[in-house]
Order: sequence, then C-alpha cells, then structure tokens
Amino acid sequence: MEQVLTNGVYLGAQYALIALGLTLIFALMNVLNFAHGQMYVLGGFVTYTVYGQFEMPFVVAILASAVTLAIVGALVEKFLFRPVLKNSEREESSMLLAAGLAFFLDAVILLLFGEKQRGVPKIIDGVMNWDFLIIIPYDRILIGVLAITFIVTFILFMQYSKPGRAMRALAQDKVAAQLMGVNVTRYSMLGFALGAMLAGIAGGLLVSIVGVNSGIGGPISIKAFMMVMIGGAGVISGAIAGGFILGMLESIGLTVLVAYGDMTYLLIFVSLMIFLSIRPQGLMGKPWG
Amino acid sequence: MTTQILNFEDVKLYYDHVYALKGVSLHINEGETVALIGANGAGKSSILRVITGLNSLTEGQIYYQGQRLDGASPDEIVKKGIVMVPEGRRVFPFLSVKDNLMMGAFSRTDKAGIKQTLEKVLVRFPRLKERYYQSAGTLSGGEQQMLVIGRALMAKPKLLLLDEPSLGIAPKLVQDIARSIVEINRDEKVSVLLVEQNSRMALSISHRAYAMATGSIALSGLSAELLEDDRVKKLYLGG
Ligand SMILES: Nc1ncnc2c1ncn2[C@@H]1O[C@H](COP(=O)(O)OP(=O)(O)OP(=O)(O)O)[C@@H](O)[C@H]1O
Ligand SMILES: [Mg+2]
Repeated sequence: MEQVLTNGVYLGAQYALIALGLTLIFALMNVLNFAHGQMYVLGGFVTYTVYGQFEMPFVVAILASAVTLAIVGALVEKFLFRPVLKNSEREESSMLLAAGLAFFLDAVILLLFGEKQRGVPKIIDGVMNWDFLIIIPYDRILIGVLAITFIVTFILFMQYSKPGRAMRALAQDKVAAQLMGVNVTRYSMLGFALGAMLAGIAGGLLVSIVGVNSGIGGPISIKAFMMVMIGGAGVISGAIAGGFILGMLESIGLTVLVAYGDMTYLLIFVSLMIFLSIRPQGLMGKPWG
Repeated sequence: MTTQILNFEDVKLYYDHVYALKGVSLHINEGETVALIGANGAGKSSILRVITGLNSLTEGQIYYQGQRLDGASPDEIVKKGIVMVPEGRRVFPFLSVKDNLMMGAFSRTDKAGIKQTLEKVLVRFPRLKERYYQSAGTLSGGEQQMLVIGRALMAKPKLLLLDEPSLGIAPKLVQDIARSIVEINRDEKVSVLLVEQNSRMALSISHRAYAMATGSIALSGLSAELLEDDRVKKLYLGG
C-alpha cells in the first residue's frame, strides 16, 4: 500500500507539472494546445542530448530544456497563434492550428532525433529500502522532489510576483487587465512560453527515468487533457489535483489490476466519462483561482 | 488661462454597420469634472472606449495634454495617466481585494509611491481595508464599485474616466460614491469624465456637462445651468 502511494505521488508530481502548462495556456488565451505532449517530448530530447550525449551536468540539461521550450513557446505564440487568434473569431481555428502544430512537431522530432527509444545514464545509483514497505530508487526520489520544487516555484510566482498576478488578472478579465495597463500581447507570449517551458521541464526530468521516444507526444497530450478535465480547465489547483489523481489512479491500477492485463486506462477512461457527465466543469471548475 | 487636458475633434467611430459616434467634439479642462449623459445606446461608453484605446476611432483626432492620443495602445494610454473604470465594475473576481488594488498600480514602478497611494485609498474606502484578503467576487455591488474606483486611483491617474458608477447600487451608496468622486476631483486634482444615466446626480457633482443623443452631442453647458434647462429637464431628468 505504502509503495502504491509513493509511486502515485511520484507520478502525480510529473503529471501535475505537465498539466499546469496546459491549463496556463488555456486560461490565458483560450487555446487548447494539442501540441503540449510534443513540447514535452522536445524537452526530453534536449535533456537527452545535453546530458546523455554531451555529458554535461543534469541541471544544465534541465535548464537547456526549459530555455529551449520557452523560446519555442514564445515563437509559436508570436508567429502562429497570435495571427490566427487575431484574424479569426472562431474557436476551431486555434484548435486546428494546435492539432496541425502537433503533427508538425512530431515530424520535426522524428527527423532530428529518429524513432528509437532513447535513455540516459542514471543520475544517481542506489535504491532506498524502507523496511520493504517502500522500495524506491534514489533517482526517482530526486526527480519527484525536483518536480514538486518546480510546481511550488510556479505557484509562488503566480501568486506573489507582479507578472504572475497580471497573468491571473488577464485570465479572469482580459479587458479589465488591459485597462490596468497590462500589455495583452506581451503577456500572452509570456504565458505561452511559460506553459511550454513547464512541459519541457517535465520531459527533461522524466527522460532520466523512463527515457523518451518520438511517438509519445500524442499520448502525453491526451493524459494532460484528462488531468485538466478532472481538475477543471484553467485552474491552477485543478491541474495539480488532476495530476495527482491521475498519478494515483495509474499507480493503484498498475498494482491491483496487474492480474487482469493492462486495463488500467480502460477503467480510467470509463470513470472519467462518468465523472464528466456528472460534473462537466471538473473538480475545481471555475475560471482561474 | 485654463488648459485643456483632453480634446476631441470631430471623432467618428464606426462599428460593424453603424456609426456609434457621428462626429463628436468636446473637451475637458485641467481639474474639471465633466459629466456625459444620455439614453441607452447614445454612445457614452463608446467615447470612453476610444479614449482608452479599446476601440480605434474611424475619423477625427483626440488630443491629451496637447499631444495626439489616438493610435496609442491601451497600456500606453494608462501609462500616460488616463485610467478608466469600466461599465459593470469588472473586478477580478478570484483575486483578493489587495491583489485587485495592486493590479491598479500595474503601470507604476515607484514602490514607495504605490504604498502611499494604497494607504490613501484604504483611508478613503475603509470597507476595502476590512475585506482586504477576501476575493473581490464575494463583495457586494457597492463594495465592488468602491474597489474599482480604488483600483483606478492606484494608477495615480491625471484623468479618471468613470462609466456609470451608480448603476445597480443602493441609493444610499450612490451618495457615498458621488461624494468620493467630488473629493477625488477636489483633493487629488484629478480631472474626471463621468458617464451617467443618473443625470441628476451627474449634473449636481460636475462643473460642465455634455448630453448625447444617438452618436452626437445634443447639448452642452455648465451643469448648474443644465439642471435648470427645460429641454434637459424634459429629456434627461424625467420631466
Ligand atoms: N462591439 C460593438 N459592435 C457593434 N455595435 C456596438 C458595439 N458596441 C456598441 N455598439 C453600438 O454602438 C452604440 C453606442 O453604444 P454605447 O455602448 O457607446 O452606448 P451607451 O451610451 O454607453 O449606452 P448604455 O447607456 O446602454 O451603456 C449602440 O447603438 C450600440 O449598440
Ligand atoms: Mg455604456
């Protein structure tokens, strides 16, 4: 049991990090970024290259993933989403753009990094064994702690910094935020860059545990959307709750259902459908708190 | 000599199929409170929206302190000292009262000055102090109106634009709000453009006024005189 919970928390922290970026972009721009998973994969490959290939320190690799994805996010906002959102009033336009971007990034990633599953050397060796109740490798502990640190930093930034406050205001009332002097264009770009950066960091962290391959962008996006739907779209606390709930369910499912074959996600999907038909706005469904 | 802080020259605003403003000329003198009255759809809010840059005007010019204003973006206009309290209050509902007020100071960087302004705002509206850490969405309508006025003051405006601050507020509170507007104008030397459907209130606290009818100025003059004017009584004061 303790083992299952520990795994759940570890997974949940990664997932929450992924979901936060997606929900931030949605809250600020009303864009469903279907390419979020591909941004995660890109972050994974950057860390793979910098840490695995160039053998630089892991921290440097994570920073490289963060910076690369922040730049990619900013460019994608500026040259793709901004013109489309400006010229089209229809929501489908930005959704189609995001879907197209997902395929495009898939292709770019395949071209640059190939189709092989890639892993990196362990960042630390050894396994923590707590009375045979909890057995967890040290590198997982480290990655879990790092993920939680990034989440907490992000929350503090949103809660107490001036740009963070401006982004929350922008998500709640765009016109009123504009009237306070918030430059909507600049802050949309900042938000998109931050959201992409969070995906990149998560990808970079996880490459040290599960590796990365060019095909997982789509499935990651689907998981990210599930978490956001569970928690409630556009809400920080919702993304975090959704991440940890999905992590926990997956951890429990993989242990309890192991005898029945791989049906964890089948059950999760069914429960999600039932849950959403009862509570379509998700757990914390309100526009950004 | 009086100097003009704001000046409209034959401003036209065309929406999808209609002219919301059909050529409006008006001005506000430094230190004045000017009221803008008129029926629903007359174009009052449109005037505020072209000043703040939320809408770009179709024809004409706007001058602010002698300089061309139209064409600037909303955030640049706030930095110049023009701040608007929009129609329907529009607090940030999930931000605390404190964070709402701090958003008002978004365009400022002088920390000490911001703190000073904050203290003044909390003295002016003690209710906001009592509810300082509460989400703005849970405040009453009147408290929200105080909050958005306080939020605008946090920017330290030179010209304050108010869009129907009395709308949907208990009569007793309307008086409080009216008194605050007078004090803000008098004590802090802020010029005010007050849009109101409550014409009697607006005329009684302003120096001059413009009355609008379907996109143009129908009447203008000293507020005290307009209050006695038969046409105004008939059209804007309900007989
Ligand atoms: N976004 C828009 N698109 C098209 N027409 C608009 C738009 N906004 C306002 N209008 C029209 O412009 C005219 C003036 O509107 P405006 O909001 O300025 O009036 P108002 O005097 O503030 O009215 P109220 O007292 O109801 O607030 C109205 O006929 C309105 O229908
Ligand atoms: Mg109006």
